[in-house]
Amino acid sequence: MLILAGLLAGLGLLFIGLKLMSVHLQQAMGRRVRTMLKAATRSSFSGFFCGAFAGAAAQSSNAVTLIAGNLVRGGVFTTRDAIPVVAGANVGTSALVFIASIDMRLAVLLLIALVGMTYQLRLDRRPNWRDWMGVTLGLALLFLGLDFIKSAPKGIDITQAADALSSGMTPLIGLAIGFIAAVITQSASTATILAVAATKARLLGLEDAFYLILGANFGSGIATLVSAGGLAGIGKQLCFVHILVKGVGCVIVFALWQGAKLAGWDSAAILSDLGGGEPTLSISLLFLALQLSGGLVITGLRGLTEKISVALSPASVEDQVSRPRFIHDAALGDPSTALDLASRETDRLVSLLPDLLPDLDQSSTGAAKQRTVLWHGSSTIVTATSQFVVRVIERRVGREDLDLALHLQEQLDLVKFLQDTLHDFSQVVEEFKDLPPLAFNLSEALRTIVLSLVDARSGTNEDFDILIALTSDRSDLLDRIRRALAGSALGSGEEARKLLLATSMFERAVWLVRRLAVALRPDANDDKPAVARNKVNLEEAHAD
Amino acid sequence: MQIEREQAGEDVLLKVAGRLDTPNAKPFEASLLEVVNTTGGGIVVDLAGVVYVSSSGLRALLVAGKAMRTAKRKLSLKSLQPQIREVFDISGFSTLFEIS
Repeated sequence: MLILAGLLAGLGLLFIGLKLMSVHLQQAMGRRVRTMLKAATRSSFSGFFCGAFAGAAAQSSNAVTLIAGNLVRGGVFTTRDAIPVVAGANVGTSALVFIASIDMRLAVLLLIALVGMTYQLRLDRRPNWRDWMGVTLGLALLFLGLDFIKSAPKGIDITQAADALSSGMTPLIGLAIGFIAAVITQSASTATILAVAATKARLLGLEDAFYLILGANFGSGIATLVSAGGLAGIGKQLCFVHILVKGVGCVIVFALWQGAKLAGWDSAAILSDLGGGEPTLSISLLFLALQLSGGLVITGLRGLTEKISVALSPASVEDQVSRPRFIHDAALGDPSTALDLASRETDRLVSLLPDLLPDLDQSSTGAAKQRTVLWHGSSTIVTATSQFVVRVIERRVGREDLDLALHLQEQLDLVKFLQDTLHDFSQVVEEFKDLPPLAFNLSEALRTIVLSLVDARSGTNEDFDILIALTSDRSDLLDRIRRALAGSALGSGEEARKLLLATSMFERAVWLVRRLAVALRPDANDDKPAVARNKVNLEEAHAD
Repeated sequence: MQIEREQAGEDVLLKVAGRLDTPNAKPFEASLLEVVNTTGGGIVVDLAGVVYVSSSGLRALLVAGKAMRTAKRKLSLKSLQPQIREVFDISGFSTLFEIS
C-alpha cells in the first residue's frame, strides 16, 4: 500500500510541478513565447529548434501543439509553418525522461531552498519574480515527484513481482498498457518515466519496456485529440500532425527493432549496449529515437503532412469567416498600402453586418447558429485588423498616414461595438417563441438601416446623408413605446422585459450606425480634422 | 401583391395591396422605378391594403425615394395601417417621406 501511495504521490507531485511551471511560464513569457514561435516559423530548422525548446520548457508536446493550434487558428502562422514546431516539441519532451534517469535529489533540495529564501525575502511581491519563483517551485516539485516514482518500486519483492509481470506481459499487452497510461496522463513521458522506474527496479525487461513505451508514444498522440476538445477545423490540424509524428516514430523504431531481429541480432541487447548497460539510459535513448525519427520525417515531408492534416480536419465555417481577406504582414513595410488593405478589410466587415441580424422573411433552421459563428469570426477579424493598424502606427508613419490609421482605429472600434450590439439584439429576438409585432418591427427596421449603411459604403455622399437622416434621434418615439409597454397588459412580464431590452439595443445600434456613417462618409476621410470632430466617446457607447 | 396605377393630375397614385416581403420587393421596386423613369411629377403610394412590410419592402421604397430625391421630385405615402406606420416610424422613414 505504501508503495502504491508513494507512486501516486510521485505522480501527483509531477502533475502539480508541470501545472505550476506551465501557468507561471505562461505568465512570465506569454507574449514572448508567441513572438518567439512566430519568429521561429521562418524556416523549418528554426521552427524545429524552437519547438524543441518549448517542449523541453513546458514538458508537454500536447501543450505546445495546442498553443500552436490556437495561434494557427488566430492567423498568426499557418499549419505548414507550425509542423516543425510540433515535431520539435516532441523531441524537447525527451529532456524529462533523461532527467528521470539521473539522480535529482540534490537539485530538488537546492531549488526548494532557493524558493524558500526568496519568499522569506518577500521577493514574491514583485510580479515578475513571483512568476519565476513559481516556475522554480514547479521544477522542484517535478523533480521530487520523479524521485518518488523511481523510489516507489524499491519496496517490492523484485523476484516475485518480476516473475508475475514477465509471465503476463506480451507485446500486445505492453502496447495496450502504455497506450492507456499515456491517454490517461496525457503524456508519453510520464508513462515512460513509470517504465524507467520499473526497469530500474528490474521489474521489467527492456523487451517489455520497448512495447510499453511504443504504446505510450502513440497514446499521447491520440490524447492530444482529447485535450483539443474545443478546437476544430484549422486549429485541430496540428493535433493530427502530432499523431503523425508519434505514429511515424513508432513505425520506424518498430521496423528497426524487428529488422534487427530478422537479421539475427538481439534488439534488446543492442539497446542495452547503447545505454552502456544502464537500463534507464537505454529507455531514454529509445524515447528520444521515437521523437527524433518521427519529428524529422514529418518535418521533411511537410507538404504531404499538411495535405493529410487538412484532409482530416478541413477548415470549418468559423475558420473561413475569421480569416482576414486583405491585411497581410508583407504589406507592413509600406504603410500606405497597409492602411489601404486595412480600409478594405473594414469595408468587408461592414458588408457582413446585416448577416448578424435575423432575416425574418426567410427564417431557416440553423440560421441562428450560423449568425453566432459569423459574429465570432468577424470579431476575430476586427481584432486582427486593429492589431495590424497598431503595428503600422508603430513603424513611425508620416502624419497623413497616422491620421488615417487613427481614423481606421475609430471605425474598427465602432464596427466592433455594432457587431456585439447586433448579436445581442438578435439573441433577444430569437428568444421569443411567438414574435410580437413590436419585436418584428424593431428587427426589420434595424435590418433596413444596417443594409442602408452597406449600400452607402459603395454609394455617394448623398447616400450617407440619407442614412444620417434615417438614424436621427428617435428617443421620443422609443420612450413612448417603452411607456406604452409598461402600461400595457404585458405589464412586468417576461415578454415585456425582453421587448424593453430589444428596444434599448435597437436604440444603441441605430446610434452606432449613425456614428459609423459619419466616420465612413468620404468627406470625413478627406478632411482630417473630421477625425477629431467625429471622435466617438466609446466609453459612453459602452456604458449606454 | 397587387399594384394599381392611377393618374392624379401631374402625380401618379400607386395603390398597393398585400405583402411587401422579399419575393414581392423586387417587382414592387421595378414598378416604382418605372414610374420614376417614365413620368415627371410626384408619386403617391397608397399603402392602405398593405398588411406586412419587411426590410426588403422598406429598401424598395428607399431606392425609389433616393431616385426621386436625385430627380428633385416628391415621393409620399398615405393611408398606412397602424402596425405598418409603426415600422416606418421606428426605421426613421417618417423623416424621409411625407406620410399622410
